[in-house]
Amino acid sequence: MLFKIVKATALAALVTSAAVAGDYNKQAEKDREGIVKYFETKFSDPEKNKNTFFPYSTDDELKNNFIKNVKGDEFSKGGYSFSKNGRLSYDEIKEFPPTEEFVEKGEAIFNKPFANGKSFKNCFPETSIVGNYPFYDEERSQVISLTQAINECLTSNGEKKFKTTKGKMAHLQAFLAQESQDAEKRMDIKIESKAAAEAYEKGKEYYFTQRGYLNLSCATCHIQGSGQRVRNESLSPGLGHATHFPVYRLKWAAGKADNDGLGTLERRMSGCVKDAGQVPPKNTSDTMKELLYFMAYISNGLPVDGPDIRK
Amino acid sequence: MKKILNLSLVSVAAFALLTGCTTSKELGTASTGAENSNYSKIDVEKVCNVNTNGLSDVINTAKTYNVIAIEKNLEFRRLGVNNSGLIASVEEAIKTNAKQVNPKDFKGKTSKTKLETNFAAHRACKFAIRALQQAEEAKSSWRLAIPGDGYKY
Repeated sequence: MLFKIVKATALAALVTSAAVAGDYNKQAEKDREGIVKYFETKFSDPEKNKNTFFPYSTDDELKNNFIKNVKGDEFSKGGYSFSKNGRLSYDEIKEFPPTEEFVEKGEAIFNKPFANGKSFKNCFPETSIVGNYPFYDEERSQVISLTQAINECLTSNGEKKFKTTKGKMAHLQAFLAQESQDAEKRMDIKIESKAAAEAYEKGKEYYFTQRGYLNLSCATCHIQGSGQRVRNESLSPGLGHATHFPVYRLKWAAGKADNDGLGTLERRMSGCVKDAGQVPPKNTSDTMKELLYFMAYISNGLPVDGPDIRK
Repeated sequence: MKKILNLSLVSVAAFALLTGCTTSKELGTASTGAENSNYSKIDVEKVCNVNTNGLSDVINTAKTYNVIAIEKNLEFRRLGVNNSGLIASVEEAIKTNAKQVNPKDFKGKTSKTKLETNFAAHRACKFAIRALQQAEEAKSSWRLAIPGDGYKY
């Protein structure tokens, strides 16, 4: 009798586990679909949707500066997905992209041997990997970001870590992003366990939680506020934010003489949290990595198009 | 037949106990940040009033709550100045009897922020408590911003 109970229990566990296995991303997928639907509805016809989504925009702007029917892949272009004027400038800059030199520098860093004779090739035999980061490492029970993986590659080979915001880190990521773009890779973030789903949920909670002395959440500006103006800037949609980093920002380039203007996604996220009025999480903290995990997941299916340019 | 039914019921019960009946809904309630407490009941304007409580009491209140805000990764930063930097500048002003503070930024460099000392104490106190209150309020409001969930349009 006992043997039969154990056998039946094991069978029930196996069947239920199999049913649940593909279910860990169920909530995340529901979120992603809800967010895609929201943006496609919002930017389908901004002039017509003024009362619902753009109550503070002028009729002139809605009529003359908004691109209608923005869908799917277009959202990886951020604010340039819907702004006619922005897109004109963007397309012109992209004719001679200022990111080319960073890709070359990144390739040199990738190929340069470490003191022990190995190189980044040993850690990253496949280079078109940007669409798969961050991922949840089941053995280490944590989200692993590309920035963290690069620095762990360095330290495991006896080298010093790179700064997580700019410089060599951004150059190397530019090379890997370009390789991913050339291979026509798309964002492909997986949630394959309960622990991974929990990490995603923490990132989601951080994204939608109001914080800082301005009491803003990421969503305040980049979900509900996207397309609206802050001073002279149109706020970009949150969908696609993780697809195009590292980015060359005019603001960063103009900041200091020793700054080449290229920065990582962590650098941008820290800046956003600071703008909301709170001390940002460390760039390789669980909080930051979980936030990136959420942002990357909701961009699943969009093309990897970094390194790119932004204001 | 009855035997099979009993066996199935026992099996299901045993499995439920072993797995803890995890559902995807439970995954959706994973919690981070501040735990529930009574921060929301604090009358910020009352406890941070320099005229009624005195400068030292207000800055001590600020210190008390800001330590908790730091622990919970909720500390405020305004124009490069962390709230702890603002508190430190007021404490220094109390020692020197200065009427104005010029706090250090988060890198330890002199900031552009210059504030009247009483105002700085009030702000530091308010920032420390509001960081905690805000995190409590967000526990019930953050889902209201999610398209396809709490946010309707």
